[in-house]
Amino acid sequence: MRGFGSTLGLYQPGSGFLYRTPLSVKAIVSLACAVVVVTWRSPATSAVALVLSVGALLIGAHRTFVRVLRMLLPAAPVLVILALYQGLSQGWLQAFAVVGGITACLLAARAVTLTTPLQDLLDGAAQLARPFRVVGAHPERFALALSIMLRSIPYLAGLFVDVRDAARARGLDRNPRVAVTPLVVGAVAYAHRTGEALAARGLGDDAADDAADDAADDASDRSDPHAD
Amino acid sequence: MQPAARTAAGPTGSGRPTSRRRWDTTDLSLVAVFAALIAALAILPGIPVGPLGVPITLQTLGVMLAGIVLGPARGTAAVLLYLAAGLIGLPVFSGFTGGFGVLAGPSAGYLVAFPLAALVAGLLAVAVLRRTRRFRTALLFLACLTASLLTVHPIGIAGLVVNAGLPLRDAILVDAAYLPGDVLKNLLAAVLAVSVHRAFPRLLAGRRRNA
Repeated sequence: MRGFGSTLGLYQPGSGFLYRTPLSVKAIVSLACAVVVVTWRSPATSAVALVLSVGALLIGAHRTFVRVLRMLLPAAPVLVILALYQGLSQGWLQAFAVVGGITACLLAARAVTLTTPLQDLLDGAAQLARPFRVVGAHPERFALALSIMLRSIPYLAGLFVDVRDAARARGLDRNPRVAVTPLVVGAVAYAHRTGEALAARGLGDDAADDAADDAADDASDRSDPHAD
Repeated sequence: MQPAARTAAGPTGSGRPTSRRRWDTTDLSLVAVFAALIAALAILPGIPVGPLGVPITLQTLGVMLAGIVLGPARGTAAVLLYLAAGLIGLPVFSGFTGGFGVLAGPSAGYLVAFPLAALVAGLLAVAVLRRTRRFRTALLFLACLTASLLTVHPIGIAGLVVNAGLPLRDAILVDAAYLPGDVLKNLLAAVLAVSVHRAFPRLLAGRRRNA
């Protein structure tokens, strides 16, 4: 609701070498960034990580510097407060080491989601789960669950807005119990409906493990008549 | 294979999960929808609190709800699914962030603690719901409170020390700023869970067959 679904996909089409880099490479670099910054925390590490991640966005994704800064807006309050606190209590060099490192990691992660379509991210996650098959995991069911989750977020957000409006109409919007109970009960009911719909189509059960492979693609788009 | 074969024909037609690993499609979608619920609650604008500005959100409410509504196994799975979605880069963590970057952020410890919190709360909730029908709200509240004091706060403090470079004493003070809100959220979770279990009696205590 309220443009929620559209903001969830963070991919923006564009050009640059980041768009052509395989997802596995981008994911490993982004993860490595977090590990390195936390393990060897120093101003030098943070500076290198910051230069690399900003550089990747500037050159690899052809983003302007202003747009890179704008990507940090959601995290800005936390970063500013953390920087001030560290600067005043432990010195500004330490503040740069901590906040610069976190910023670099956030930007590196953002670079991945910016240049990878949502469907590729989901496929990548399912592939990542594949080795766990040995210990009894079902990568297809994982992918299916991920798809159902993504499809449910806009529904739940819309339900939340509706429920809150209804509570406000009765003058009860300051009572969290009245404002949230229908949301949770509605979520459980929605899950039961979805579960029955999946069972009716033979998806997500053990017998239909190979069918679930297609389901991962199809579940994000319910109108698709996946006729068996 | 467990011998306790209950072949109650559920509305989905597939047998109830007798061996613990087998989930039918309803279990699967409950896990997925609760992961989405945690995400939806986390994305709602939070209030930055304390010197580090780790925001207060309803995220922990969603985590506790997953545990005490779905039970330990499905609840933990829902939280893990939520974390997986966030780590692969979907903006489902509070403040619209996502990706491996959060692992370096100050609130990483709290995220790591969430699955454990759901597990502990779920185990306690099952014990409560199977045994008694009285004082359920109070007992579920205690279950949530125990879970958050055992998992969320210690691991969260560790995360603040490691990632935000705080001395231990300061980290404990920062964490304490979240305690009052946490108590309120746990209370709300207990009230909500009782309503949900009343509306869907078979959800967790549903080992009894109903014809």
